Amino acid sequence: MRVLLVEDDSMIGESMRQGLRQDGFTVDWVQDGRAAELAIENGVYDLMVLDLGLPRKEGLDVLKQLRRNGNQTPVLVVTARDAVADRITGLDAGADDYLVKPFDLDELAARMRALWRRRSGRTDPVIRHGRLIFNPATREVVYGDKPVALSAREFALLEALLDRPGAVLSREQLEEKVYGWGEEVESNTVEVYIHALRKKLGQDFIKNVRGVGYRVSKEP
Amino acid sequence: MKSIRRQLLLWLLVGLTVATAAGAFAVYVRARAEARELSDYQLQVMAAAFPNNGFGPATAPAHDESNIGDVVVVQIWDQNGGRLYLSSPESPPQSAEIGFSTVTTPQGSWRIYSTVIGNNVVQVSQPMSMREKLAADLALRTILPLLLLLPVLAAMIWVTVGRGLRPLDEVAFAVGKRSADALEPLPESSLPQEVQPLIAALNDLLARLGRSLSLQRSFIADAAHELRTPLTAVSLQLQVAERASTEAERAAAFSKLKGGIERATRLVEQLLTLARSEPAAVEQPFTMVSLTEVARQVVAERASIAEARRLDLGLSGNTPLQILGDAEALRVMLGNLVDNAINYTPPGGTVDVEPAVDRGQACLIVTDTGPGIPAEERERVFDRFYRRAAAGESGSGLGLAIVRKIAQQHGARIELGAGGGGRGLKVTVRFSGQLAAQ
Repeated sequence: MRVLLVEDDSMIGESMRQGLRQDGFTVDWVQDGRAAELAIENGVYDLMVLDLGLPRKEGLDVLKQLRRNGNQTPVLVVTARDAVADRITGLDAGADDYLVKPFDLDELAARMRALWRRRSGRTDPVIRHGRLIFNPATREVVYGDKPVALSAREFALLEALLDRPGAVLSREQLEEKVYGWGEEVESNTVEVYIHALRKKLGQDFIKNVRGVGYRVSKEP
Repeated sequence: MKSIRRQLLLWLLVGLTVATAAGAFAVYVRARAEARELSDYQLQVMAAAFPNNGFGPATAPAHDESNIGDVVVVQIWDQNGGRLYLSSPESPPQSAEIGFSTVTTPQGSWRIYSTVIGNNVVQVSQPMSMREKLAADLALRTILPLLLLLPVLAAMIWVTVGRGLRPLDEVAFAVGKRSADALEPLPESSLPQEVQPLIAALNDLLARLGRSLSLQRSFIADAAHELRTPLTAVSLQLQVAERASTEAERAAAFSKLKGGIERATRLVEQLLTLARSEPAAVEQPFTMVSLTEVARQVVAERASIAEARRLDLGLSGNTPLQILGDAEALRVMLGNLVDNAINYTPPGGTVDVEPAVDRGQACLIVTDTGPGIPAEERERVFDRFYRRAAAGESGSGLGLAIVRKIAQQHGARIELGAGGGGRGLKVTVRFSGQLAAQ
């Protein structure tokens, strides 16, 4: 899952980025409201984690503008403003969830997974697809009763495909899900990960749509 | 303990007693004068009542039937000096004078009236003590009711004073049952005039307390709010460290955690400084302070930090400047400004501190070659906890709030501008009208 993290405090931002990466999220981090708007405009984010007290453009204004533009990216507001009125304002401005600082990294990750699940229309925290059981929280994957060990990138790629079964994702789209900014993308890497996944889950699990991209079948 | 009630009672009773005694004495004096006049008249009338003649030789009478004998003694002499009559067994003193006279004997004073009736001399005498007794009786009868009334008066005073002081009890009760943070004014309307100044003063104090309390509260709220940021950072850094899978990753995480803790510590220290400079805090009395000396100290204390950051930190100009102020506070203020300059100026830059006189006003000027502050942000940087977006350094956001507070205490204004050649930042602390004669 690719996440846009908007946090002006460098210590907090850095730790959040690192912690979320440890949790298997692909994280891009910006430090002010304008940068957040630019990033979300041409970005491919599954979720935005938004601090409210931002320089250059307030977090709430960013959020309102985002919703006015029809952007439906789930937004989790993370802020030190804890008054009930603040939370109400935040949620009414279009936030999907609200977390008050200081918070626990695991809770943040869990809430992010919950938002993503909701956006994908799922209620089961575990994704079941045919013989595959995919658990985003524990990062455990079981295929036909056998645990499958996946690398972080393989996991992220599979997660992206499972998020919308049946939909075809291009190589570029998959790259975007797997790599954050500043991460070196080697050519053919998507193909390499697909190859590895097919070896672990069977050749037919990920289907190739020639000239377009990859998908997992809609009805397993 | 001093009691208004007891004091009032005591002094009112003392006053009343003295007044009664004085009254009684006046009555006594007056009554004595009147008794004297009246008795003299009686003596005269009595003497005149004797016949012109017809008294036989002196014979001691059988005891007089009237008790007038106790108080009046009548003697009659013939023209030869032979006593014709004596009304009492003991003879009173004699007076040779015709008319009234007073004769003092070892047994007491007598008032004597002598007159000549026919050929005889009639002398009527009366002891003076009798008159005194009459006057004393009269005086006593006058003041007796007053004396009997004294306890009644005392009781009335006690009750009335108690009732008069009851509003004080009510105020005490009202204040006593208040919770510590109930600072609304006490009602003044139904109170006696004498208590109102006290209540008004109390209300004034309550209002001032309230203001100071709400200042403190908002400060604490701000502070608690802002402590969240470094605490969030620390708790996240800790979690990242816990999750680290390699030794190198863990070491990096711990080093960041250390940075986070240092920042939290700095914030707490700055908060303390700010709390000390709040208006409610005790202010140091102003003394003559040499700004040049303050600048020299501040620069000297930071020389090694500046060197470590490869900054050229120095004092320029040596105008001797003295103002009335709090030396310690001014050191903190200038120290914050210089720290900011050091933190924001990239290596190789210059930080300049200059005490100067500009337009007749004492100024402290700190110039750096850092990134400066855009005009639109120059007001906001003074807000508590405001940290600039571009700030790579993780400050507490309190430094300039402290600077402003101290400047305000000294009646100084702070001007932000660009440094030399439009680059960097120039901070001028302008002390208005406090420039002392050099």
